[in-house]
Amino acid sequence: MTQPIKERDYFTDPGVLRDPYQYFEEMRPRGPVCQLETHDCLLVTGFEECVEVLRNPADFSSLNSLASSAFPLPFTPEGSDISAQLEAHRDKYVGGDMVVTYDDGHHTNVRALISLMFTPSRLKANAAFMREYAGELASKAIADGKVELVHTIATPYVTMVIADLMGVPPEDRTLFEAKIAEGQTVGSINDPDSPTDMSVVYFIAEFMGRYLQERAANPGEDLLSELATASYPDGSKPDLIELISLSTFMFAAGQDTSAKLLANAMRYVVDEPDLQQQLREDRSLIPWMLEEVLRLEGSSKATHRVARRDTKIGDIAVPAGKQVIVALAAAGRDPKRWGDDANEFKLKRPGIKQHVSFGRGSHTCAGAPLARAEVATMFNAFLDQTDNIEISAAHHGARGARNYEFEPSFIIRGMDNLHLDLQAKTK
Amino acid sequence: MAQINLTDTNGRKTTLNFNEGGTLMQTITDAGFDDLLAICGGMCSCATCHVYIHESQLADLPDMNADEADLLAMSEHREDSSRLACQLRMSAALDGLRVTIAPSE
Repeated sequence: MTQPIKERDYFTDPGVLRDPYQYFEEMRPRGPVCQLETHDCLLVTGFEECVEVLRNPADFSSLNSLASSAFPLPFTPEGSDISAQLEAHRDKYVGGDMVVTYDDGHHTNVRALISLMFTPSRLKANAAFMREYAGELASKAIADGKVELVHTIATPYVTMVIADLMGVPPEDRTLFEAKIAEGQTVGSINDPDSPTDMSVVYFIAEFMGRYLQERAANPGEDLLSELATASYPDGSKPDLIELISLSTFMFAAGQDTSAKLLANAMRYVVDEPDLQQQLREDRSLIPWMLEEVLRLEGSSKATHRVARRDTKIGDIAVPAGKQVIVALAAAGRDPKRWGDDANEFKLKRPGIKQHVSFGRGSHTCAGAPLARAEVATMFNAFLDQTDNIEISAAHHGARGARNYEFEPSFIIRGMDNLHLDLQAKTK
Repeated sequence: MAQINLTDTNGRKTTLNFNEGGTLMQTITDAGFDDLLAICGGMCSCATCHVYIHESQLADLPDMNADEADLLAMSEHREDSSRLACQLRMSAALDGLRVTIAPSE
């Protein structure tokens, strides 16, 4: 008789960090919703069940979405509805003053402002800058014949793109870039008592406060001007603190995740047999590649919710106060949703756009359209200027036996670094 | 409370209360209707919250912007009464709106 596998600690185990998918497969036989032994919370690995939780904001609060389910509630839950208790303790939660953790009417109001931010027309207006800057970064790397993608290309690229879109003055952009580079990850497995350091956020917030006041007085065409002059749906004006929080979050939130997505995608493009050649021959496959990478290896492994009312997931009773890990990475590989080949890369997989790697429901990642545009633009720049892209065997080992270092985060899935060898286009 | 009359993709009819200030998309998804996928969460980017509005009420709605029009133009189920539910903000003036969820692409 085989011994049951001892449950590993999702939040701190370095093996889970290296291969979270193996951990989720270990947990999946316990059911699509299971109670962890290591923490007092539920783990949701089923696709349908994840969607159900994400689309039920009435019963599940997002207050712990950044703080995670690793910590006990900062109060003793009382009764079948703890909504008021949660709100009364909002200040105890990391990111409790940011839109990602808001619920109900406050969230609806702020989300209405966000819905203006990354519309197709705004991204189109920004496309020339994105193309030009991507081309420039790729060109320099290709001239060198090699590059470390994450720090040299991906991070500066996404920082500059969002800075341009928002209207951060050019002279401040490098300051932000440097500060972001030295910041700790979100959800660090190396700092279990304080896994999310907000110092970078506070640094950026100071600048945002100044810009917003300037734009309110002298609005231009950029996103900060639009925010500075925007109204909530009922016609009332958001206060300055709310706008600072929102613009800081929108600036910072997509940094790491978009940069990691570019690197995750590059791994598949290089190592999936024939994929690089297929993309070279038909660039219209890039979005399909990207959606499949998002499903298999999106940049966020999990988000978190807390039940604020006695409720259910499927037919499993969930009491008010129970915290829930919504394992997006597990949902992406749920064989009940994606079939027996759920772990394999397959271009144009039926229903692929329904993956939940950007979440679902009212808190769906607002920056998803931007992330998609950024990654596609950078891939086009690299494919335009190279004949071949290889992962550096000297740094990561040979194909089939690669070694990567992953960002030590229980939230982010992505490599700390990715070294590439680049063969410039000859004709 | 103000309400909409919704027909889902199976032809089932129901009445939903709505909160003013939220979108039609939120009204439908918060009520648990899975056939309105609303994948992008209201960013006017995916066209998976496509609905039909009863023709007699189309004039009550705000005009379509270029992004919404472009996305709907790509839908094989586009009708004259097509709108994206994420672009319709609910107000008391829309009480009694008759909405049908469009088939998914």
